[in-house]
Amino acid sequence: MFETISNFVAAFLTLSIFSFLYKDNPFYKFAEALLVGVSMGYAIPLVYENVFLPYVYSPIFLSHKFIIIIPALLGSLYMFRFSKNLGWLARYPIVFGLSIVGMSVPMSIHSSVLVQMRSAMLPIDGINTALIFIGTITILLYFFFSKAHKGIYGKVTNVGIWFMMIGFGASFGYTVMARVSLLIGRIQFLLGDWLGLVK
Amino acid sequence: MNKNVIKFFDKIQNIDRRYIYIVVAFSIIIPLLIPFNSPTYVTKPTSDIYKKIDSFAGDKTKAILMSFTHDASTMPELFPMEVSVLRHCFERDIKVFMICWLPAAAPLVDYAINTAKEDFDVQAGVDYCNFGYKPWVLRLPIMLGMGDDVAKAVKTDSQGRKVENLEIMKNIKNYDDLNLVIDFAASSSAIQWITYARARFGANIAAGVTAVMVADNYPYLHTGQLMGMFRGLKGAAEYEKMVDVFAAYESEDHPNGRPFSKEIIKETSVPITGDTVPYKYKKARIGMNAQSVAHIMMIFFILLGNIGYFITRKKEL
Repeated sequence: MFETISNFVAAFLTLSIFSFLYKDNPFYKFAEALLVGVSMGYAIPLVYENVFLPYVYSPIFLSHKFIIIIPALLGSLYMFRFSKNLGWLARYPIVFGLSIVGMSVPMSIHSSVLVQMRSAMLPIDGINTALIFIGTITILLYFFFSKAHKGIYGKVTNVGIWFMMIGFGASFGYTVMARVSLLIGRIQFLLGDWLGLVK
Repeated sequence: MNKNVIKFFDKIQNIDRRYIYIVVAFSIIIPLLIPFNSPTYVTKPTSDIYKKIDSFAGDKTKAILMSFTHDASTMPELFPMEVSVLRHCFERDIKVFMICWLPAAAPLVDYAINTAKEDFDVQAGVDYCNFGYKPWVLRLPIMLGMGDDVAKAVKTDSQGRKVENLEIMKNIKNYDDLNLVIDFAASSSAIQWITYARARFGANIAAGVTAVMVADNYPYLHTGQLMGMFRGLKGAAEYEKMVDVFAAYESEDHPNGRPFSKEIIKETSVPITGDTVPYKYKKARIGMNAQSVAHIMMIFFILLGNIGYFITRKKEL
């Protein structure tokens, strides 16, 4: 019984969102606002239970680790973003957060720069590695703006543009596939879970 | 050029986009209502993940970790992957852990477990363990901490039980044992695992991503930092087929599944029509039928639009 009701509600909200394809309407606006509200309403108690209680309340009040008060106070400075006069206080937790990001710099350089460079320097032993070699060189040359893109140099950078266009095309193709997949998921729900036409 | 042809293309150029929506909708609805057996070709990035997970079969000293970094909006692509991986683990007696980083992902983990486990005799804390929701801001201490001691980094599971006391934790200490992390995401969050768990501890990382994110993750797959990748609904369909062909296979010689073989996967086709395979285990493959028809339709529209553009431009010149 509960499943039937929940399926009806989900189907109504799905169709309300799809109705935007015809034109903007109150059903669409209602479903959109409800999504935002429910997401927030769901997240707040979950964060309270999974973050505030185990990482702030329990250590301070149950385990008496009073040192936790310092990061808790630092974190609460975020709330001053809503104040015009004291908004600057919110910068302190942001600064602290950014300093933590610095910790990941060496490991990020390793995985996102050094390993990628090493892979690009492998011997050309097939059509794929040859294409990667030509693509990397011509695209890097395209982004070298200290020389005018004219003559032979211009032709080489044009090859880079072609490589980028093919890359954008592949990326766009995947995007279309993803969007169609989402539509398939919703229609599978409507036809299967709701109407019971697909089993 | 024939006047009627030019008139037709003029009309097509200015067609109301809502007609196109209707055609796309039908191109998806019809294949879903009338499924057909189209071939599913398995690609290397997907089969590499299968082989890695399968190598842990029956080994109580190894486990995999499934990381959920998405909400319900990307379920159509990612959920079939998750269910298939769980089914594989349950079929082959492989320890599996789950963690999620978004509040909205927490119910999805439960939903995936409940969908897969109803066909198996598995127990929470023994065969699988859900670490539950952990805030994304704590990813750094958790991902790094798991390199030393998983039980200390995570502390409690989704039910609030101490992880160190769970039976599943026997022989599981760090990434040497939790030897494969699969990140299911609609973002580049797998890069976080690569940065912290792989660069520092050498953990094996794989990604299950929505098709939109595939291009972003390819450089990491190419360099071997991702040992495999599920690419959108297609990746999910490939894995569903592999689980059917190998992990769920039963015969006298192989009562609990059979090992992966390139030849067998090439030659075997699993019918998705009929009741041989439950609907929940072939959802992605049925979806790929609709995907194929929708793609053909779109290619047709793109060609038609371009032909129309060139013809009408010629007329203007």
